[in-house]
Amino acid sequence: MIKFQNVNKKYDNGYEALKDINLTIEQGEYVAVIGLSGAGKSTLIRCINRMHDISSGSLLVNDVEVSTLKGKEIRKLRRGIGMIFQSFNLVNRISSLKNVLVSFVPDMPIWRKVLGLYTKKQKIEALEALDRMNILDKAFTRVDQLSGGQQQRVALARTLAQKPSIILADEPVASLDPITAKQVMTDFQRINEEMNMTIIINIHHVDLALEYATRVVGIRSGEIVYDGPASEVTEQILEHIYNGKLEEELSGN
Amino acid sequence: MNILKAKSVELPNGKTVTFKRSKAPWIILVLLICFYYSVQITGFDLQVLAKRIGQFWVIIGDMIPPNWKYLNKLWQPLFDTIKMSLLGSILGSIFALPLAYLASSNMIKNKPVVAAFKFILSLLRTLPTLVAALIATFVFGIGTMAGTVAIFIFTVAYVGKLLYEAIENADLKAFEAMHSMGHTTTSAFRCAIMPQILPNYLSNAIFCFEGNVRYAAILGYVGAGGIGLMLNESLGWRNYANVGMILLLLVVTVYIIESISEYFRKKLM
Amino acid sequence: MNSIEKQLLNEPKRIVQNVITAVILFAFIMWSLTAVDLSNFTSNGLDIAKNILLGIVTPNTDLLFTFNTNGVPYLLVETMAIAFLGTIVGAILAIPLAFLSASNIVPKPVAFLVRLFLIFVRTIPAIVYGLMFIRVTGPGPFAGVLTMALTSIGMLSKLFVDVIEDLEVNILESLESIGCTPFEKIRYGIIPQLSAMFMSIVIYRYDMNLRDAAILGLVGAGGIGAPLIFAMNGYKWSEVGSILIGLMILILIVELISNKIRNKLVRGY
Repeated sequence: MIKFQNVNKKYDNGYEALKDINLTIEQGEYVAVIGLSGAGKSTLIRCINRMHDISSGSLLVNDVEVSTLKGKEIRKLRRGIGMIFQSFNLVNRISSLKNVLVSFVPDMPIWRKVLGLYTKKQKIEALEALDRMNILDKAFTRVDQLSGGQQQRVALARTLAQKPSIILADEPVASLDPITAKQVMTDFQRINEEMNMTIIINIHHVDLALEYATRVVGIRSGEIVYDGPASEVTEQILEHIYNGKLEEELSGN
Repeated sequence: MNILKAKSVELPNGKTVTFKRSKAPWIILVLLICFYYSVQITGFDLQVLAKRIGQFWVIIGDMIPPNWKYLNKLWQPLFDTIKMSLLGSILGSIFALPLAYLASSNMIKNKPVVAAFKFILSLLRTLPTLVAALIATFVFGIGTMAGTVAIFIFTVAYVGKLLYEAIENADLKAFEAMHSMGHTTTSAFRCAIMPQILPNYLSNAIFCFEGNVRYAAILGYVGAGGIGLMLNESLGWRNYANVGMILLLLVVTVYIIESISEYFRKKLM
Repeated sequence: MNSIEKQLLNEPKRIVQNVITAVILFAFIMWSLTAVDLSNFTSNGLDIAKNILLGIVTPNTDLLFTFNTNGVPYLLVETMAIAFLGTIVGAILAIPLAFLSASNIVPKPVAFLVRLFLIFVRTIPAIVYGLMFIRVTGPGPFAGVLTMALTSIGMLSKLFVDVIEDLEVNILESLESIGCTPFEKIRYGIIPQLSAMFMSIVIYRYDMNLRDAAILGLVGAGGIGAPLIFAMNGYKWSEVGSILIGLMILILIVELISNKIRNKLVRGY
């Protein structure tokens, strides 16, 4: 369970990214966060795994207060939360398998870390993760030779290998073509249903958000202006979230 | 008309175009002044050169043919030279890695630490290798150890600088992903940045080794061991046939090492 | 599960390769370790190291700020002058050699012979040239200039060749189409392409020559090297300190300026 209580986030330059956020997300939900660029979507999800600090309020992730964690505790928190990025953020020069194996590194003894030696059990787990994303055959291909959709799947496999209870995705389909984007959204749906993982996605494409997510959170200049089932989102609500700029936002992307 | 003044021209259609003021005359003037004073200070004199350049060819003539019998005595010092540069280059390249990491502004967030390590690296780089070798002979005594230390210092500075530039230019996306997975910064560096910079790093280390063999050859001049010692001796006795032999051996060795190093560096790219 | 195990067996086996590389590297290190000879290292060495550091911290300020021909400032100017003239003479000599070794301009055998010659010129250590030129001009900075000129030729012409071989030739075609003579083609088609890169290379080489010029004094070819070695042999560590400080500051400043100018020349900002 993720619970925001009166969370505020102010950047060093004085910009208020989040204003008095109250939000509860239960285990196993599939949530899409929508809103204009710069509304605070990215900040919101990055607070959950402490990639960003919050300025005030309380943020509980699985009953742990995130805002007071330090060093090692932050890393322990992050081990349990997967993250997916717009540009996949894989290590380009190495194979898909090695990219997935990287998720075991924080728990390995130091000599294995330095030499980059993985156990057979870890390799099998990593291959299983790749298999789950249907790209087992690309295990030994360098990721810079894969297509965008395949790269995002490797990134998803890397996250699955981490065995998280929550997956955060920051614009996961923004650099993909529409068909691949749908496939990746379906992948998220499958993970959500089969493994009961909480999935929180920042997304520009409103239609994809409404089609795949079960719950929608609308953010406008740092405030939550809509929170409810995806099926109940109307044209009017969208106008409200996008501040009358829905058309611009859609054509701009 | 003043050539240094900005010129404005009116075009037939009434628009005016202002030409940029050229700096070239100033640069040429400064260079000429530098040239004049450099000639004064160094006593550069073409007449002397024309009159006495024969001496230069006399020495070259003495080197040919080289003294082949001397070759037998050269293998040991030659291998010493190669060993010195090999050890200094390997250890220096390894040692450069942590220093470069600490000097990279995108890895270490503590600005004074980054500035301090950058400063140390550039300070080490200013020290000419021969001067470092000279100091090392005072500290470690005459011999190959001094040469190894001098080469080590140069390698740390050279490889270290190129390495921190590579780290600072590396793509940080994967690095961010590592952080989000709960890696420490060092571990994220190992997993996300190392694979990116490794080919570049190895290539620079090999290139540095190649140059170090060349440098190591003269370190013996200040007593830092290797073939430079023999060179110094032969030059002292004015035995130019021996000098010729040493130079020939050096050229061949450097050529072979350059070819090998070029092969490996091409493979890495 | 079955397909996963099958895929696991498909993993490219790098173990043999990695072990061989590791063994070879280890053997090289062991072999080169035999060159480390610490028998000449005495506790005396540590004292000297401490004294050198003390000397750098407490330099001889008289020497550092004396403006006659014995002071550090004058010696630095002399070193700069040697490097400056040497670089210019070297660059002038390197240009024809570069064209002669560019395989897109002269026949292949000629280019090959000139390249072979350049390898020889490049490999012979500066100190050997220094000693040879002292026979020509007598000891002093003039010998240093000639040495710098000769040692610069090798690298300069190699870098020049790279630029020449990258020349854009289609511009020549367009110049020809508007009726230019060969001279005009060279003046307006080739020189503008080459000059910025050549300048940048020459400045880079000046930067390197400055370091090398600092060591030429060791053989009596002028510059700051001679006073340095005298001071060291006389155990006058505070003098050593002030010379080293002067040298390091000079090299740092020149490097900074040369990097600025080269960036401007090559990238236009």
